[in-house]
Amino acid sequence: MSTIMEWIDKRLPVTELIKSQATEYPTPKNLNYWWNFGSLALTVLIIMIATGLFLAMHYKPDAALAFKSVEHIMRDVNFGWLLRYMHANGATFFFIFVYIHILRGMYYGSYRAPREILWWIGVVIFFMLMGTAFMGYVLPWGQMSYWGAAVITNLMSAIPVVGNDLVIWIWGGFSVADPTLNRFFVLHFLLPLLVFGVVFVHLWALHAVHSNNPVGIDAHDDKDNLPFHPYYTIKDLYGVGVFLIFYCYFVFFAPNAFLEADNYIPANPMQTPAHIVPEWYFLPFYAILRSIDFLGSFSKLAGVIAMVFSIAILFILPFLDRSPVRSFRYRPLSKQLFWIFVANAFVLGWVGYNPPDASLFSGAIPLILIGRTSTAIYFGYFVILWLVTALDIEKPRPVPKCL
Amino acid sequence: MRLIKTFFAVCVAAAMVPVALHASSGAPVLPEQSWSHTGIFGSYDKHAAKRGAQVAVEVCMGCHSISLIKFDQLRALGLSEVEVKKLAEVQGRSKNDRMTSAMDETAAKDSFGVIPPDLSLITKARKGYEDYTYALLTGYPSEAEMELVKKVMAKGAISEQDALEVQSALLINAHDKEQMKAKLERLVGGANFNKYFPGNFLAMPAPISAGSVQYADGTDNSLKQLSRDVVTFLAWAAEPTMEERKSLGFWVMGYLFVLTILLYAIKRRIWAKVH
Amino acid sequence: MAIEVEENRRDFLILATSAFGVAGVAAAAWPFIRSWSPSADVLAQATSEVDISPLQPGQMITVPWQGKPVFVLRRTPEMIASAQKGDSESLPDPAKDADRVKRPELLVLLAVCTHLGCVPQPIGTGDYGGFLCPCHGSHYDTSGRIRKGPAPKNLEVPHYDFKDANTLVIGKALA
Repeated sequence: MSTIMEWIDKRLPVTELIKSQATEYPTPKNLNYWWNFGSLALTVLIIMIATGLFLAMHYKPDAALAFKSVEHIMRDVNFGWLLRYMHANGATFFFIFVYIHILRGMYYGSYRAPREILWWIGVVIFFMLMGTAFMGYVLPWGQMSYWGAAVITNLMSAIPVVGNDLVIWIWGGFSVADPTLNRFFVLHFLLPLLVFGVVFVHLWALHAVHSNNPVGIDAHDDKDNLPFHPYYTIKDLYGVGVFLIFYCYFVFFAPNAFLEADNYIPANPMQTPAHIVPEWYFLPFYAILRSIDFLGSFSKLAGVIAMVFSIAILFILPFLDRSPVRSFRYRPLSKQLFWIFVANAFVLGWVGYNPPDASLFSGAIPLILIGRTSTAIYFGYFVILWLVTALDIEKPRPVPKCL
Repeated sequence: MRLIKTFFAVCVAAAMVPVALHASSGAPVLPEQSWSHTGIFGSYDKHAAKRGAQVAVEVCMGCHSISLIKFDQLRALGLSEVEVKKLAEVQGRSKNDRMTSAMDETAAKDSFGVIPPDLSLITKARKGYEDYTYALLTGYPSEAEMELVKKVMAKGAISEQDALEVQSALLINAHDKEQMKAKLERLVGGANFNKYFPGNFLAMPAPISAGSVQYADGTDNSLKQLSRDVVTFLAWAAEPTMEERKSLGFWVMGYLFVLTILLYAIKRRIWAKVH
Repeated sequence: MAIEVEENRRDFLILATSAFGVAGVAAAAWPFIRSWSPSADVLAQATSEVDISPLQPGQMITVPWQGKPVFVLRRTPEMIASAQKGDSESLPDPAKDADRVKRPELLVLLAVCTHLGCVPQPIGTGDYGGFLCPCHGSHYDTSGRIRKGPAPKNLEVPHYDFKDANTLVIGKALA
């Protein structure tokens, strides 16, 4: 055995790689459970690719057959219901984990130097994930699939000059139809494989600069670090166990909890459902899109820009935060801003879920007003964080010298 | 900080409230039914589903198809082969055929203005699920309620007292008397009114009434019983693999609990040296 | 000493958990593997049920079974006699007529020519009173045996059973 490994190692240093990047890879000893969500997201990605691959063997990307083929999977294919419910609910857990992963990075300053590139790759993955999820939701070809696709692709028409032609190009026709479904299927298949590749670039970038930690200072010597194995392998595995319990509860006992009833109605281009809602994980961004309605003919484009910018702003976050301290643990003002930001994201989600013309207290507070305020708070977070840190308004508490 | 925490809690709680705000039309709240097949231990009431299959074929399938199910699959509900064949013959089908209605779509569109929706997934495809389907079937005005409507309309103007009475009987909002009057006029004019259908008026006339179907075993054939049975059947038709799913789920959950406890024990031991 | 016991216990715990975890992963692979097996709608086509009561002597029907045509022929006494007479003649693929039927009056054949897979023509088209394959001129007799032409083997008799006096079930139910 060892001679075989020696033979291989001389030609391709596998043992060395595993040692340096996995088993003996130095990891800060004080990582808390919020650091589990990266490995959890990777676990879900693997589950999604595995179930998706097998679903694709039974699914038919054809406007006339797609809906029936999903029900064929649900009814006729052996364990088809399991594959499909794992895939559908996997999307939900994927986004829960990615959101927590992003927020953890925001709270502990993981985007700060020298981890900007690591952070940017993460944002790129997030964009790719949103595209993948959106196109995946179109595939069952139910009413929500169809009208979700119609609304989201129509956003492109807001782009000046080329918008309308662009939408027709994306559709491959004059409306969302068979060509659209077929190309979305291919992209939904391709993108996750690309995501998988970019995840490895993300890990490469991580291993180049090493993990941040709750204290937010650099880990220096061996006293601050632990070998990744067995300490973090077991901690990550334990996290996976806990995740699987929650996940399987939904897969086996409440598989439709996150699905819309309307999506069990076959797509009908002649009739829009009374109330279109995107999947829950897009709701905050959908609310931002709808909140920009006060700019007249410019509203549509502005809404789209605001929505894209609400995520793209994460790219410049590393330069907005000018505090000398990374971790919000020692930054009382930033910490408060952060929790307002998180709570506000829930409010945005709630606004996005409800019809645009709804109101609170029988008309006293129109929902659109709440939406606009929340959108302002969302972007306000980034501006105020910049002001508070750039103008030295925040007085950080003393940071420990070692972990 | 406490203020922030309170704000946070309130926001999260508000976002978690499952009840959506209603834009303008306050849809009536569906009466909650108890079904044997809901909940994590739930399984289909096969007797009710078997009776419901008869109601579905003899009544619903006059117009609707249940095309994702084949007649032969009804044997899973305990129907004998002879019973399956007899039911298939009602729609002029044979036992290996899909459960499609004998009425063709053009004829349906001519008589009702719409193609009657396929019922294969109906209990999963409407908000409120089984409860909605049941509410719809039992939500047409009864004779007594029709009497009340006629009595109120005979007076010309709707008094406050009448409005409240109509509201409690037909679940029409009493605040907007104009709208109520318009609705009652259409109702008296013979339009198909349903308490639970969004907007109240629909293409489908009351499909089931007491005695629509005779059960061979003499089970009560009141409107409520027939509706309950057919909804149970439709819930089965919407997801025949549900019982397999739940029973596998218990093994998986049991396994995962044990595995996670073991992993936690190892994690504790390994980390004991560090802490 | 105490540390050693502790170590041993940990080793056992890790070993047991690893085994348990590996078993779980293996079990999780099962649904994926099983998803390739014929699905319920395909299995439903494993058998074909045929009502043979309307078949008159000399009449033949073609029924689909697993996507292939099957001839069901109610043979006349003359056809049976001709087939049995063939038993003693020189045959390219010797077989007794009695071994090719369950009831003498009912002949069930997979209508796929053993030469190159064409579907032979109905009863009475070939020499020997049987079936002619139009592609390359193979003649099968009233027992479906090859008598003349390029086909090497007799027409295959699929597995079949009688559910009752008038119901023929072609094929074996799977699972």
